[in-house]
Formats: sequence, C-alpha cells, structure tokens
Amino acid sequence: MDTINIEDELKFVDPQQIELKLNSFGDLELHLPDGTVHTPVVPARSFPLTDVTHYIAIQTDNKEREEICLIEDMEQLSGESRRVLEDALEKAYFMPVISRLQAINRRFGVTQWKVETDRGVIVFDLSSRSAISQFDGGRLLIKDIDGNRYEIPNYLQLDPKSIALIETQV
Amino acid sequence: MSQSDDVPLQVRGKDRSNQSSMSDGKSEQSNQELLVEEIPAHIQDLLPDLKNSPLEVALATDLHFSGNYGQDWLLATNDKIIAAQQNGLPEYQLQQIDLKQIDKVEILNLHGNNILKIRIANQGIELARFSKRQADKFNEARFKIEELIQTQKGEDQKIDTRPKNAGRKTRCEKCGKAIPHWSEICTACIDKGKTISRLLKYAVPHWKLLVGGLMMMLVLTSLGLTPPWINKMLMDEVLVPAHSAISLGQPVSENAGFLLLKYILWLFGITIITNAFGAIRSYIMSWAGQHITHDLRTETYSHLNTLSIDYYHKRDTGHIMARMTHDVERLQDFITHGIQSMLRSGIMVVGMSCILLWQNWRLTLLTMWTVPLLVALTIFIGKLYRRYHHIVWRRVEKISTILASTIPGVRVVKVFGREPDEIERFNLHSKHVLEGGLVVSKIGAFYHPTMGFLMGLGTTLVWWAGGRQILAGTMSIGDLTMFLSYMWQFIGPVQELSRLNERFIRAATSAERVFEILDTAPDIANKVDTTHLDEIEGEIEFKDVIFSYDGELNALDGVSFHVNPGEMIGLAGHSGAGKSTLINLITRFYDVNHGQVLLDGRDIRDISVESLRSHIGVVLQDPFLFNGSVAENISYSKPDALPHEIIAAAKAANAHDFIVQFSDGYDTVVGERGARVSGGERQRISIARAILKNPSILILDEATSSVDTETESKIQEALERLIQGRTVFAIAHRLSTLKYSNRLLILGHGKIEEFGTHNELLELDGVYAGLCKKQAELSQIRVI
Ligand SMILES: Nc1ncnc2c1ncn2[C@@H]1O[C@H](COP(=O)(O)OP(=O)(O)O)[C@@H](O)[C@H]1O
Ligand SMILES: [Mg+2]
Repeated sequence: MDTINIEDELKFVDPQQIELKLNSFGDLELHLPDGTVHTPVVPARSFPLTDVTHYIAIQTDNKEREEICLIEDMEQLSGESRRVLEDALEKAYFMPVISRLQAINRRFGVTQWKVETDRGVIVFDLSSRSAISQFDGGRLLIKDIDGNRYEIPNYLQLDPKSIALIETQV
Repeated sequence: MSQSDDVPLQVRGKDRSNQSSMSDGKSEQSNQELLVEEIPAHIQDLLPDLKNSPLEVALATDLHFSGNYGQDWLLATNDKIIAAQQNGLPEYQLQQIDLKQIDKVEILNLHGNNILKIRIANQGIELARFSKRQADKFNEARFKIEELIQTQKGEDQKIDTRPKNAGRKTRCEKCGKAIPHWSEICTACIDKGKTISRLLKYAVPHWKLLVGGLMMMLVLTSLGLTPPWINKMLMDEVLVPAHSAISLGQPVSENAGFLLLKYILWLFGITIITNAFGAIRSYIMSWAGQHITHDLRTETYSHLNTLSIDYYHKRDTGHIMARMTHDVERLQDFITHGIQSMLRSGIMVVGMSCILLWQNWRLTLLTMWTVPLLVALTIFIGKLYRRYHHIVWRRVEKISTILASTIPGVRVVKVFGREPDEIERFNLHSKHVLEGGLVVSKIGAFYHPTMGFLMGLGTTLVWWAGGRQILAGTMSIGDLTMFLSYMWQFIGPVQELSRLNERFIRAATSAERVFEILDTAPDIANKVDTTHLDEIEGEIEFKDVIFSYDGELNALDGVSFHVNPGEMIGLAGHSGAGKSTLINLITRFYDVNHGQVLLDGRDIRDISVESLRSHIGVVLQDPFLFNGSVAENISYSKPDALPHEIIAAAKAANAHDFIVQFSDGYDTVVGERGARVSGGERQRISIARAILKNPSILILDEATSSVDTETESKIQEALERLIQGRTVFAIAHRLSTLKYSNRLLILGHGKIEEFGTHNELLELDGVYAGLCKKQAELSQIRVI
C-alpha cells in the first residue's frame, strides 16, 4: 500500500495566482486561479503568536468556517491583495504591544495594569495569574478580563522598573 | 491620546452604575440612560441640530479605526445614525446615514476588538471599532438601532431572541470594577469591618469560653510583665546593698536572706501561674476556634451541595477546594491566635511603655528610638524577603507543573524519544529556582546580622546612658537591668502590631471568600410554590427554547419539539450541535433563557428540582465512579437498595457477570474515579446505577462511544431491555446505536434540522439520510 503523503492534505495555493479584494460591502472576496470566486471570506492566522505572515488560512465567513485555501507566505501576494489581507488581519487580530509599565495595582487577586503600548496608554484588569502566558525568550501574552489581548515581545528588554513590576506577576 | 485612559473609564464607571438599577421590567427606561453617554463639547459642536429628534444612542468607542486608543462616537436618533470618527486627522469626520436605508446592522466579533458595521443597498460601512471591554455596550446599541430601524420602516418588532448572558460576570454591576476569578461578588464593594463582625457572629455561641479565655489572657499578660520589675527590686533592695556592704567589710542586713527568698518565691510563683494557666487558656481558645471553624466548614459544604452545576463549571475545582481547606484554616488561625496575639501585644506595649516612662522617662526617650528603627527595618526586609520568597515559590511550583505533566505522560515522552529535551527543560527551570533561592539567601544573610547589630546598638546605648546616670547617682543598677530586659521584650510585640493591618486584611479576605460561597444563591433555585411530583408520565415538550452559556452564542436557538411518554428519541448531530445542552436543560442543570421546557404539560421550573431529578436517570460518556465498592457505586442512586435489587440492576445492565468474576465481587473497590475497572465495565456499572433508581426518563449521553464493538453490543442488549416503558433520550454518533429509537431528532448549530422516524428521514433524503449513507459505506469498508 502506498504511504499517504500528509502534505497532500494542505490546500496551498500559489499566492501569485490568487486575488483578494474588498467588494462594495467591504466584504473580502477571494478569486481562485480556476476562476471561482468566494465571498464573504475571512483570514485566519495559523500561528497568531509566533508567525503572523505565514500560513494564513482563508475560510468561509459562516459558522462552519471551512478552509478554502492556505497561503504559505503572504509576502508573495500581489501588491493590492497583500494590502487588503494585511488590513483585514490587522482588524481581526488586535493585540497592542506593551512598551512600558506605569503601574500595577493589586487588590484581592485582581491586578490593574496601566501600560504604554504602541496604540497608546491603556488601563486594563487581570483576574488571575493565569491571564499571563509565558513563552521562551521572555515573551509574554496577556489576556485581560474583557478578552482583550496584549503582547510583550521580551519583557527582559523593557526598562528596569517595568521588569521589576512584571517579575512580581509572572 | 491623552484622553484615552481617563475619559472612557469615567464614562464606563457611570454607565455601570446605571445598569445596576436595571431589571427586565423597566429595561426600556434604563437602557435609554445606558446607551446615551455625555458627549464632550468638541463633538457636540460638530453635530447638526438635533432638536426635533433626541439622541437614542450616544456611545464613545475606545478605539479609532487606525487601531490607536481614543474615542470615536456612534450616535443614533430615531431617523438617522451619525458616526464621528477621527481617522488620524486632527478633525473628527461625520458620517450620517438614514435609518430607512439600512438593511442590516452587524457586529464583527474579532480577536481583541469588535467592529460595528451596517449594510445599505450596495455598500457596507464600518461605523465603530472598539475593544472587548465595550462589547456588551455596543451589543445593546446594536439591538436598539435595529429596533429604531424597524420602527422607522414601520415593520413589526420581532421577538427578542438575542442571547442573554447566563455566564459568570467579569465586572461588578455596581462599580464596574473587575471581579477576581475566584469570586462571584465584587471585592471592592465589600466592607471589611462588616465581614469581620459577621465572622465574629460565629463566635457568639461560645462567648462564655471566649470571654473567659480573654480575661485569663489579660491577667496573665499583666503578670508576665512583672518579672523584670521584681528583678529590679531584688537588685536594688537585696543584692546591691548586700554586695556593697560586703565590699566595705560591713555585715549584710539581717532580713536580706528573707527578702531574697520572698522575691525568688514571687518569681517562681509567677512562672508557674503564667505557664500553667497559659496552657489552659491556649486550649480554651483553640477549642473555641476549632468549633467555630467546624461550624463554618460544615455550613459551607452543605451550601456548596445546593449550588448549581453552573457554579462548578465556572470555577476551578482547586479554587473551591482551597476555600474549604486553606481559607477556613486561615480563619481558624485568626480566631485562635490572631486576635489573641494582637490583644496581648497591645497590652504589653502599652504596659511596658508606662512602666518605663514612669520609672525613668529620660532614659526611656533616649534609648527607645532604636525600637521604631528596628521595627521599620524588619518590616522593610520582611517585605523584600517575602516577595522574593514568593517568586522562588512560584518557580518551584513551575517545576511541579513540569513533573505533573511529564511523569504521568512518561510513555509519550519515551515513545517520541524526547527525554533529552525534557531533561533540558527541567534543568532550565531548576536553575531558575537556584538563582531565586540564592537571592533569598542573600537577603536572609543580610537580615539577621543587621537585626543583631541594631539590637546590640540599642543595648550599648542603654548601657552608656544608664551607666552615666548611675555614675551621676540618678539611677539604680536595678533600674538599668530592668530597662535592658524590657527592651529585649519590646521588639516582639511591636513587630506583631506592625503586622496588624496585614493580618486583619488577610482574615477578612479569607472570610469573604468563604462567605461568598454561602451568599451564592443556588442558580437553579426552587420557586416558592413548586409542586412535588410522585409519579410522572414522561411527556416532554420544548417550546421555542433559546439558551446560551456565555451570552454570545446561542447553544440552542429556537428549539421546539414534542415527545410522547415512553418514546425513545435518538439525538444526533455534529459535535457542538447542542445535544448535551438539550439534556442539561431537561435535567435542569441550567435554565432556559427564553421559551419553556414542559414535563407532562408543566413548566419544569414549577416542579421541585429534587422531584424532577428523582425521575431522571443519566448515563454519561465518561461515567464518574466514586472511590468505593462496586455495590456502593451502584446503590449511589438509591442508598437504601437491598442487595438483590443491586444485583438485579447489575444484571439488567449486563454487568453482573463480570462483577462476580472479580475476586472481591460486588465488594471490589473501584479506585479513584473508578480507575481500577475498565472503561466498558465502568460504563455498565453506571448504567446499573441509573437503572436501579427505576427512572421514568432515561438519558444516555454518548453512553457507548468509548467502548469497543463487543462491549457495545452487550450494552446495547442491556439498553434494549431498559428502555421499555420509559421516555428515553439517547445521544450517539454510531447511528446503529439508535436503531430502537421511535423517532430521531437531528440537531445542527443549536437548531432542529430534522425530526421524524428513520423511514421518514430517509425519504426526506436530508442530513440524516446522508449520515446513514456515510456510515453504511464505512461499515462496508470494515467488512472488506
Ligand atoms: N459549560 C459550557 N460553557 C460554555 N459553553 C459551553 C458549555 N458546554 C457546552 N458549550 C458550548 O455549547 C455548544 C453546544 O455544546 P454541547 O451541547 O455540549 O454539544 P454536543 O452536541 O456535542 O453535546 C458548543 O458550542 C459548546 O462549545
Ligand atoms: Mg456532548
């Protein structure tokens, strides 16, 4: 019996051959090389935390979320398609990057963080320690009580005060 | 960006306070207030004249479309929507759209933010972008806007089918502050004093003992203060005069011997009394403390048992357990030791200060300044020490986590040859512990010598100042020794008192956590006037049922069907379709958000929960067995069952044969969670348990999906016998399992897709027919 090549399961498409655009409703439209058009579709990152430009799945915008195709490297898309996709991904994955901690106030297990991010200053609440996930290389991912997410690429590279504040929390 | 952090917070704070007064009856009025926030002047100036149509919606976002934090505005009157957006420009841009034009209002639920979008004839327009924090607010706004559109277009209002949040709240309704994950109530809104006084109420039954214990403590503490005083008398009245007499060659005074004996007897007596009565007092206080916590613990546990499944779903088992053990223990410590040592320290500090000042206020003031210094130092270093200690502790905890995952998973590690990586990972974390531990040691190494130095400095000061006063003749040697011993005794109580606040707060928090359980009303509370049903027919009807776990997605979305008594219904559908949810509503683990579930024509909320559940037997995919014997597990559903009943139930469940093969038969202990019997055996024991109760409604939730075909056919056989004369709901993925069903109900995404007999559905040639074909193909492959 032939062994199954598991890579055949992937629905890769040639990024040069496809086209992504917004229709007049602002919905994303996918044009495949065989001429079929899918709309509305939504992009999904396979590795939202570790690789934001590779393995972008394009799925149907309904409850089933069926995958139509997988884009290995979005850098290879044609200029306009790439811009449209970048735009859609920016909206779909909103995760400010924290650059400095101003204060952490603790009160019975709830911590209130006041931080500076690339999107401005924000105050948010964490309900437990498990809201902070730690990755290799000092990378932190924080999920606040309302479901917003924030990232610190490497907390050890922040200023000493921020590091000290974080050390009390992780 | 300056407005981003302060302004929206204030606005939020305000709208939350409005929400607290909201109840279903008057939601119209309060929604109104909720959805109209105060518009700052610079936005107000931009707006057209709105005199004829008041604002129905006026909400600030917390994001611009650029993704930067800041306020855009979404406004709606009864004829148009206005969006004010600042797209990286200094000026706000206004967009106005007639409500009549709008076809659809939708909220795009994205990661970390949401977008409100409308569709008009040939266009889609994104009107507001906001973070998850504002999701609820804009959800409300969306429904309001839909309502306005319908009114404007002259359409009938549809019934309200929006999901309602049945899940746990993350923010306080009153103050808008975050609620800790272990809590149900807002910790900011609790009153520490009230909590402690509520705790003390548990002490009331033991008040005589407690008052006695405290009185004893008062007396004993005062007594304990006297030895340095007696030492002083001994010095000044006996030893020093005698010594100087001898050195001058004069005879020692006659009654010196008598005085010596007298003071020694005093000291001896005090030692005996303080220690003997101290032991009694300590036992009395422990007795009271332990009884108080026992009362609290049992009350909490019995209350825990009345709480709904939902309560447990929303929390870690570990947290609930911690409250029953850790928090209750901490309270006991506070009652038995905390309160006492606070009082004792207080008395000692005041008493000693009085004695010292009265004796020699100048020396006191001169030397006692080292005490606050010492205390400040211990507090500071103590904090530092605890902080690092905590960091190390957490690092050690991480090591335990690694162990807890790799040791049980050792087979996986070995099979994939990942031992070297696991060792490296472990070494890395172990090194973290090492580094942290060294810091703690450094602090410790610094701490003790510093304390010693300050104490030594204080003593030297007393010797120096006291020595000079003795030389000047203004002070006796006895005074000096008394000073020194009081000074050594002083440190402890002062340190104790400096921790007063912390101790108090900790106890209050622990008490609050325990009270929080007691204060949580059972979610599925019996209404006051529920009926008790002794006998039921088993007729079930769902009427337009809508239910959501989290308020975002409807797990059941408008489900209606009717089941006759004694009918067997097969439930099928993709996973996540809502099959288990439907069962959860019948057993009343949750209540519907909208619509009704009827049993024998009665709303199940009008039937008492106990009597409802007494008629239902449930078998789950992964049945839970308690660590006890097989017989105990079977009779769990009917504790007074006779042995022959247990055996009959086991026989009916096809379990008897394998049970008697065990060397301990029905007395075999099944182990933690039933780990010592196989999956299929566990399953059949749980079927026996369900059947022993002889329920009128039997529910099988994927009862056979985790066993092999051979075992399944045995269970099948058993079930075939058991379904006679009962209403049965059976969920199964293998359709063959459902072959005895009278009718089949196919669910998909929370809605009924098909409902009918096997033949009807085949004729329909829809979802079920498709499933049948697929499974038939599969079984053919197996045969080949
Ligand atoms: N306790 C819960 N809390 C939140 N969501 C839940 C919970 N239980 C189930 N769900 C969700 O409800 C939907 C229906 O689940 P369920 O009824 O268990 O499906 P199934 O048909 O597989 O039994 C799923 O989307 C599931 O994720
Ligand atoms: Mg299920």
